[in-house]
Formats: sequence, C-alpha cells, structure tokens
Amino acid sequence: MESQIAEIAQHTGGVIGLSWLMIAFPLVGAFVLLVFGRFTNRWGHLLGVAMSLASFAVAVLGFFELIGFGEEERRRAVHLYEFIPGMVDMGLLIDPLSISFALLITGVGSLIHIYSIGYMSHDEHRRRFFAYLNLFVAAMLLLVLADNYVGLFIGWEGVGLASYLLIGFWQFKPSAAVAAKKAFVVNRVGDFGLLVGMFVIWTTFGTLTFQGLGEQITPGTENGTMLAIGLLLLLGACGKSAQLPLQSWLLDAMEGPTPVSALIHAATMVTAGVYLVVRSGAFFFPEGSGAALAVAVVGAATLLAGAIIGCAKDDIKKGLAGSTMSQIGYMMLGAGLGPAGYAFAIGHLITHGFFKADLFLGAGSVMHGMNDEVDMRKYGGLRKFMPVTFATFFIGYLAIIGFPLLSGYFTKDGIIETAVHHQPILGWLAVLGAGITGFYMSRMVFMTFFGQKRWADDAHPHESPSVMTVPLMVLSLGALGLGAYLVLSNRLMLFLAPAVGRPEELPAFHFTSTPGLATLALVAVGAAFAWMRYGRAEVPSVQPRGSFLTTFARRDLYGDALNESLFMRPGQWLTRIAVFFDNRGIDGLVNGLAAGIGGSSGRLRRIQTGFARTYALSILIGAALLTGALLLVGNI
Amino acid sequence: MNSIPAPTIEYGTLAPLLVVFGAAIIGVLVEAFAPRYLRKAIHVPLTLLSLAGAFALVLVQVLRGQVSTTASAVGALAVDGPSLFIWGVILVLSFVCVLLINDEGHFVASAAAVPGSADEEEAESAGGGHTEVYPLVLFAVGGMLLFPASHDLLMMFVALEVMSLPLYLLCGLARRRRLLSQEASMKYFLLGAFSSAFFLYGTAMIYGYAGTVSLPGINQALARGAALDPLLMIGLAMLGVGLMFKIGAAPFQAWKPDVYQGAPTPITALMASGTLVAAVGAVLRVFWVGLGNLDWNWRPVIWGVAALTMIVGSILAITQTDIKRMLAYSSIAHAGFLLVGVMATFGTAEQNASSLKAILFYLAVYGITTVGAFAVVTLVRDPGGEAGHLSRWAGLGKRAPMLAGVFAFFLLAFAGIPLTSGFFGKYAVFAAALDSGTQPGDSMGGWMAALVVVGVVASAIAAFFYVRVIVLMFFSEPSADGPAIAVPSMGTVTVIAVSLLVTVGVGLYPESVLGVADDAARSLFIR
Amino acid sequence: MTTHYLILSGLLFAIGAMGVLIRRNAIVVFMCVELMLNACNLAFVTFSRQVGNLEGQIIAFFVMVVAAAEVVVGLAIIVTIFRTRRSASVDDANLLKY
Repeated sequence: MESQIAEIAQHTGGVIGLSWLMIAFPLVGAFVLLVFGRFTNRWGHLLGVAMSLASFAVAVLGFFELIGFGEEERRRAVHLYEFIPGMVDMGLLIDPLSISFALLITGVGSLIHIYSIGYMSHDEHRRRFFAYLNLFVAAMLLLVLADNYVGLFIGWEGVGLASYLLIGFWQFKPSAAVAAKKAFVVNRVGDFGLLVGMFVIWTTFGTLTFQGLGEQITPGTENGTMLAIGLLLLLGACGKSAQLPLQSWLLDAMEGPTPVSALIHAATMVTAGVYLVVRSGAFFFPEGSGAALAVAVVGAATLLAGAIIGCAKDDIKKGLAGSTMSQIGYMMLGAGLGPAGYAFAIGHLITHGFFKADLFLGAGSVMHGMNDEVDMRKYGGLRKFMPVTFATFFIGYLAIIGFPLLSGYFTKDGIIETAVHHQPILGWLAVLGAGITGFYMSRMVFMTFFGQKRWADDAHPHESPSVMTVPLMVLSLGALGLGAYLVLSNRLMLFLAPAVGRPEELPAFHFTSTPGLATLALVAVGAAFAWMRYGRAEVPSVQPRGSFLTTFARRDLYGDALNESLFMRPGQWLTRIAVFFDNRGIDGLVNGLAAGIGGSSGRLRRIQTGFARTYALSILIGAALLTGALLLVGNI
Repeated sequence: MNSIPAPTIEYGTLAPLLVVFGAAIIGVLVEAFAPRYLRKAIHVPLTLLSLAGAFALVLVQVLRGQVSTTASAVGALAVDGPSLFIWGVILVLSFVCVLLINDEGHFVASAAAVPGSADEEEAESAGGGHTEVYPLVLFAVGGMLLFPASHDLLMMFVALEVMSLPLYLLCGLARRRRLLSQEASMKYFLLGAFSSAFFLYGTAMIYGYAGTVSLPGINQALARGAALDPLLMIGLAMLGVGLMFKIGAAPFQAWKPDVYQGAPTPITALMASGTLVAAVGAVLRVFWVGLGNLDWNWRPVIWGVAALTMIVGSILAITQTDIKRMLAYSSIAHAGFLLVGVMATFGTAEQNASSLKAILFYLAVYGITTVGAFAVVTLVRDPGGEAGHLSRWAGLGKRAPMLAGVFAFFLLAFAGIPLTSGFFGKYAVFAAALDSGTQPGDSMGGWMAALVVVGVVASAIAAFFYVRVIVLMFFSEPSADGPAIAVPSMGTVTVIAVSLLVTVGVGLYPESVLGVADDAARSLFIR
Repeated sequence: MTTHYLILSGLLFAIGAMGVLIRRNAIVVFMCVELMLNACNLAFVTFSRQVGNLEGQIIAFFVMVVAAAEVVVGLAIIVTIFRTRRSASVDDANLLKY
C-alpha cells in the first residue's frame, strides 16, 4: 500500500518541546482578561493581540524546526503529563498536518485580532471580546495539536464554548441569544456522535492516542465496528463544520460580531470537522470504504445546498455563510477521497481560510462604514467610497470563484479533478457547484460595490482605519498567491505525506483538463448572468417576492422547517404523550422514574420538620441503630 | 519527693498550630484593648498573615522532608504526612473563607441587640460588624487543625469542642434574616452538644475496655482482647455518632440543611469545606489507627451509613427550593461519597495508602469548589439579603452570564462531569473502593461493588438537580424584578477566581494535586 | 463494686438524653446535655478505678473545663434568641425546615 504514514517519534527539547506554549499564551491571555476584569480595560486588547502573535511566533519556529527533520521523522510527539492515570496521557503531536493548522489558526487569528482592535473600538466590552477570542485560539490549538482523541475532544468543546460565547456576544439582541443557543444545541448533537465514537474506539482498541491506533490498525482492515466509528465521527464533523444535516446553526451564527464570523465561522473552527476526518482518515476513512463514501456524499450535498442558499441571501454575512458551508462541502468531498484528496482538501482549507477571512473582514469593513447595515439591497456603488476594501474584497472574490491563477483556482480545481477521477457523479456535481458559486459571489460584489447607490440618507460610507485595512491587504496577498505556491509541484502534498499518506501517483496540475475547462465555463456563465441581473440592471431596494425556488433558498432550503417538523414536533408530541401516560399513573417511562424519585423526595423532605427535638430523636435512633448493627455484626 | 519529668514538646512540628492559636489569642486581646475603629484594620492582616504563616510552616516541614514519624506532644498529637496534607488544605480553605468574611455586610453589628430595636440602630450607626468574628474563626480553624491530628480520644474531644464552639456562635451572626440565623445557631449548638456527649460517652466506654484513650493503645488492646465485649461495641457506636454527626452522614444529617441555610454564607462556606475536611480526617485516623484490628466489625456498618447518606443526600436535594439548602444536601451526598472511600481504608499499608490518596484528593478539590460556589451565592442579592430561593436564580445566565457560567461550572464539578476536578475526585474514590474489593482475603468484594453502584446511581440523581439549576439559570426568562448582582469586592473575586482556577486546573491536570496527595498518603497515619 | 457506678452513669446518661427529647425549654434541654456530660465523667472516674490508672480522672477534669466553655457559648446563644423571640422554647424556632 502506498499510503504509508510515518511513525511517530517521541520528542523532547527544542521549540517543538515547548510547543505547549502555543496553547499556554492565549490561555493566559484569556485568563488575565477575564479575571482582572475592568482593570485591564485600557490595554486588554493589546495583550490579546500580543498573546496571539506570541503563539504565532512559536508556531513559525516550530515549523522551521520540523522541516529540519528528514521526511520520515516529521511526526513528533511531545509528552506533557499523565492525564487520567493509567488511561490517557496528555501529549501534543507536531506533524505536518497539525503544524499547518497551527500556522493558519495563529496567523489568520492574529490578523483578525488586529482587525478587531478597530472593529470593536466602540464596544464597551471590547476586553471581554478579546478574552473570548484568546480562549478560542487556545482551544482550537489544543484541538489540532493534541495527540489523542481526548485532548482533541477537550479542544472541540472549548471552541464550541468560545463560539457560543461569541455568537451571543451582543446578547442584548434577542436574535443573538437565540442563535447562540441554537448553535449550542445543534453542536451537542454532533458532539454526542464524537463522544460515542470515542467510547467505541476505547472499548475496541483500548487506546485513544493516534500513535496507539496507528500501531493497531493496519490498512485494509474494515469491518462493521470501524464503519460505525467512522460514521459517528462523521456526525461529529457534520455538527462542527455545518454539514448536512446539521448545517442549520451556521447561518444564524452570523449574529456574532464580524471578526468572529471571519475567524471562527469561516477560517478555523468550522474546518475542525475536516481536520477530524483527515486526522482519522488512515484509521476509519480508508480510501474506498463506506465511511469515506459517506463523507464525500455529505460534502457534495452540502456544497450544493450552501451554494443555493448563498444565491438568495440579501444579508451580506448570511450570503458569505452559505458560501462557507459550500466551500467546506468541497473540503469534505476532498477528504472523502483518500490520500489523493487530503492534500487538496487541506490546501483548500488553508486558502479558504485566507480568502474567506478576507471576504468576511471586507464585509465587516463595509458594515463598519455603513452603520452596521447588512442588507446588500441598501448598498450599491460603494467601490468609490471604499477603494481599499473594494480591492481586497475583489481579490477574495476572484479567489473564491476560482479565477485562473488565484488561490481558489488551484485548490478547488484539485478537489474537482480528483473527485471526477474517483467519484465521477460527485465530481460533476462539484463542477455545477462551482458555477453557482460564480453566480452568487458575483451577485454579492455587483450589489455591494457596483450599480447605483441605494443607501439610506443618514449613511456616510467611508473607508475603515488602517488597523482594519492592513490585515485585509495581508489576507488578500494570501488569496492571490498561496494556492499556486501550495499546489504547483505538489508542495503541500509532499509536505503532508508523512502525516496523511500520499496517493499512488502524484497528480500533475493540468491547466486544460476537461473538468477544469468546464468549471471555468460555468463560472463565466454564472458571473455573466449575475451581471445581467444585478450589475447592469437596477436592483430593487426592497426584496421582490421571487419564485418558488428563490423562496426555497431564502428559507435555508427549509432546513429549520425540516428540523422542526422532523425532530421538534415529534419530540414535543412524545413529551405530551409521555405526560399523558404519566398522568394516568403509569410510571414505566423514564419520566416516571424521575417523577418517582421526585415524589419520594417530596415526601421524604417532610421528615425535616424543623423541630430540633425531632433531629435529636433521629440522632438517638441512629445511635441505637449503630449499636444494634455493631452487636449484630459482631455476633455473626 | 518524686520529681515529675518535664514533657518535651516538639515546637517545630507543632508550629502551625501554635501560630494559629497564638494569633487567635492576640485577636482576643485586640478586641479588649484596641479602639473600635482600629480593630478591623488589625484583625484582617493578623488573621490572613497567621493563616498564610501557618501554611508556610506546613510547607517548610514538607519540603525539608521533616515529616515526623512519631507522635508529638507526649503522644497527644500525630503530625504525620496525611495530617500535614489536611492542614495545608484546611489552611488554604480557611484563608479564602476569611477573604469572603472580610466583605462588608455579612455580619450583624451587635448580636445581642434585638432586631429592629433602638440598640441595633445605634450599633449600626456606630459602624462596623462584629470584629470578634476573626478570633472566633481562628479558634475554629485551630480546632479543625487539631481534630484530624489528635492521637488520643481525649485530645479529639477537646479539638471537636474547640472547633465547634466558635462555629455555633458564628452561625448566629448573620446581618440579614436574623431569626433564621439565630435559629440555625441554636439548633447547631443543641444538636452539636448532644452528639458530642455521645462521643464522650463512647470514649468512656472504650476507656473502660482498653484502659487507655490513646488510639494505638486501643488498637493493641483490640489485638489482645479476643472476646467481643458489648462495652466496646456500645463505645464504638457512640463514638461513631459523634464523628458521623460532624461529617453529616445519615441518619445524623438533619442539622446540616437548617444550619447551612441559616448561617452567614461565608461561615457556611467555612463549615462546608474546612469542618468537613477536618472531620473526615479524624474519621480516617480513628478507623485506621484506633480500630484497624476491628475492620471486620465496623466496615459493614459504615457500608450502610455510606449508602444511606448518598441516597438521602441526593434524593432530598431534588425538591429543594433554596440554593444554600440544596448545596447542603449536596454536601451530605458528598459526605457519602467520601465514606465510600473510608470503607476502602483497611488491611495492608499499601491498600490503605492508595485509598487514602483518593480521599485526600477528593477533600482538597471538593473543599475549594464548595467555597467558590458559596462565594457566588453571596453575590446574588435581593433587597432583604441574599436571594436564596431558586426561582430568583431563573434567567441569571442572561443577566450575569459570567457569574452564572462560573456557578454552572462549579455545579458540573460537584456532579463529577469529566474535565472538572470533581470527576477525578469521584473517579479516584470509586476506583479505590473497587480495588479494595479485589484484595485477597476480603469477603466484602461484592459489597464494595454494590456500594459503588449505589454511589454511581446517587451521582446520577445528583447530576439531575445540579443540571436543573443550570437549566434554570440559562434556559428560562429572567423575571423583571430579578435579584441584583452585587459588584464583587476584590476579595470575593479572588476567592471565585482561585476556586475556578483550581477546579479547571485540576480537571485538566489532576496529577498536580494527586501527586501531593500520594506523597502524603504514602507516609500513612502514625500507628 | 464498680458496676453500680456504671449503672448509675448509664441511667444518668439515659435521663439526660430523654430530657433533650422531651423538654421544650432550651435551658432545660441544655442542662440535660450537661447531665449527659456528667454521666460521662462518672463513667470515666469509675473506669479509672477499675483499670487502675489515672487517665480517667484526668479526663474528668478536661471534660469539666470543656463543659464550662460550652455553658458560656450555650447561654449566650439561648439568651440572644430569647431576647429576639421572647421565648426560650426550642419548638418555637422552626422557620428552617423541609
């Protein structure tokens, strides 16, 4: 088998030995900001940025130390301490995969920290915001750096917590509070899958470390248990990465401040599912297995669903959220194709991290200048007023639609070609998705920056301060060139090979393959169609009624309605039925047991009469019982 | 004339005790001679410094490897590894409790004045609360230190009283809801005195059987005397009444909810953490050092008490409507979990050390989480004092998300959810209990497993009421006239932060405390 | 001949315990507790004679001191509650229950 994964070597010393500092820095930052409260108001945000940058520095140094090793020695495990005695040791795994993530998280994370200084400058709770951001960075790093599933799970829950806190950051808005709760609940469903998956792994293999699993699982073993584990992990991945059928929370999550949407709900956290699949790929998602196919199908379905939702949204952030779902669908599709797809999935993940963060922050910059207006129908013609924002947003736009030679072109094309090669049907669906992407992203750009101005009279669009635009420029540089750097001559694939394996033959990048040309053609058609509808023609500033299809997309493909009718209503009915039976005195159900305990509790507490003399009696009775029991035991 | 040889006192070993009691006595002098406006300014640093100093002295003994292996003070005290660990825990807990006590407004200005009378108004306007609180707390802490280190039953009785008498008084000093506070004080006092009389009578019976009250002496007498003497059994039962009363095991738990609810919350925190730690320490010492040769007899009885305590504590907690009362029942349930661990301390030294380690760990992490939880309770206030009723806590998550989140975390730690210190506490204790069942020659293996099952079921029931509060805080709408969230003082913030940090930190890195507990447990109680 | 003293001690202890249970006045309840302590003292002194060492007698002194301290604390609490409620009945104080 070609997809040979390198052995994990124990490592001490050096920067890698200190890699726990990556997690420690932002954690300390979060702690200081939360505990010392308003004392840190004046410099808290700077501390947050500094901690994130320090973490980035460690990641960069670790990266260089790592590439100093030979290819077969690039998987370094750092033992930290005994976590659950005799069961789990806490350790970090520094390998090409995890260091790539660490660089992305700390790099993009730092840029977004800097951007937030400007974006949140008017918010009185800015310090708390930075505390949560730091908390998020720490948890996310733990997620990707841990060398076992338990550590991964802790990070997984940590990012969930940070995400919950940040979505609901403006909790004075009821919609934000509701969205936070929804994200929390939907994610629990996914977490449940991951947790049960971990239990099954533990009972089957007796270990939860990647190293231990690597020693026990040889390629080619597939059975029912492995498939079950794979599907459970996929459920976890779906929850975190907003894949069908657990996608519904992501659109609502846009209630959070825009930097949060950029960092957590576009660049990093939502890609944790992809990380989970790729990391577990060699164990539970081997090429051609049922579990891998399930991953690919979920990815393809979501990339279409997300793209369709993106077409109908007038809220710029929700449009981008649909796009995020769709792009993660591409990554999932790639992750379901075995080692050939992993490198492109991760590559797309990294470039997406850059251009989507760029787009979100650009959208934030627009909102910042437009009194927090999010409706694109109230924008129009903004390119003259916000030249820098426009330029960077435009680069991000070109990158995401796969304009030749930009980042998205290389990575997305890689996924599409690999998919067409391995799973033709899914591959062509991905081509179709790319065409739709061309349409909805063009629509967004035309509605926002071109055409007539449609904004309200009291809006005074202006360019954002440089603390916001500089990160935009850096990100757009990544959107420009990173894809070419990573994909041409298979740099990323060779780099990742020790961690995730490599395909039997290395792909060569063709600029003129059939799927590639078809994609380009469809994107061009989509963009042209968008120009006709939204660029040249007048955009009504009130949402038109639209066809059935538009309504379908506007309502998030009735995802919420589906959830409601499939799960909530039956759940409520079930409760009602249970209550009904319970009222009839049948204590058989779980409810009944709880009621039974509650009832006995209600009766028992009457013993606590409040009279001191009764208590004294209970002591006396207790003394008699003890004496009796001791005499009895002694005489047996 | 025979000259009486002067006893040797190991001042170095006993230094932590001497510092605490010395500071307490100085505190009394301050009350007598310092002007009113100066008293608090003297008491606060004196109290905190003496507790910190005592802690430092404990550390010095441990770090210099001078843990004594023989009894001190002519056989009255045993300052061994477990004692030093328990001392350290009690000193840390009482230090943070004193930070809570420092806050304005917990204590009445003049306890003797009738509520609402002119006397009280005068005392109020004169400013300041009862500064006697500080020396009283120091005496109580001194008693707590003595209690688990007592090497004979007389010393233990004296320590029990030194610990309890100041607490009886402190319970009655709440500024708000005076009637409840005074009632709690009276109930605690009468029942406490009643139970200590049992303890004393048990001591007398055992003295009659063994001819001595020294714990090792009793154990030797047990080894000699084959015949099962009713005198011994009655004595043992009565001794047990006194000890079980202090840790609040069923059926001696009745005082706990009433007293915890009525007492000023910082004092409740001190009782729920420090007293419990001290009492469990004493129980461990009595059963291992004094009654080690009788484990066939006492273990089945403790089995019943532990099972009953866990069930009573967790079931009764479900329908509680007052937050402090609910925490009191939770404390009862936790006393039951600790007794499961006590069951496992018998037999070989190795077996004993491994169970002892689990219990010491449990005590440390449970104590600090408890103080943190009560610190949060002090901050949620109504016009008439703390908002005790659970309905007032509805929707707190929306009004004060940080506070509610921290409280939810403490509750999860009580419930023993993984990634909190509470999980490892329960895990360690239950694992030790199961291990002990597999010891060769133990006929109670099946019983231990059954007890652990009872413990797990009780934990599940307990998790229900902890989660109920969390749901109440986060998933119900706040009422319009909800309680005010007091702006926490620096001291309270420190208490909550330290508790949170320990609860999280130990949850992620249990070895930090577990390692120390292991070292302490390895040196065993001096026999 | 020490048995008689032990029986007396047991009786005193039982009378004290019953007194705690059936008397309502807090002062009387408290005195019953003191009676129990004195029963203990009697037992200690008797056993001291029986086993032939002085420990029991010494303990009796300790117990007296502790009992005296307990009186101070107990009376303080009972007097305070009497001033507030105008009643020293232990049954009247039952706000804390269930």
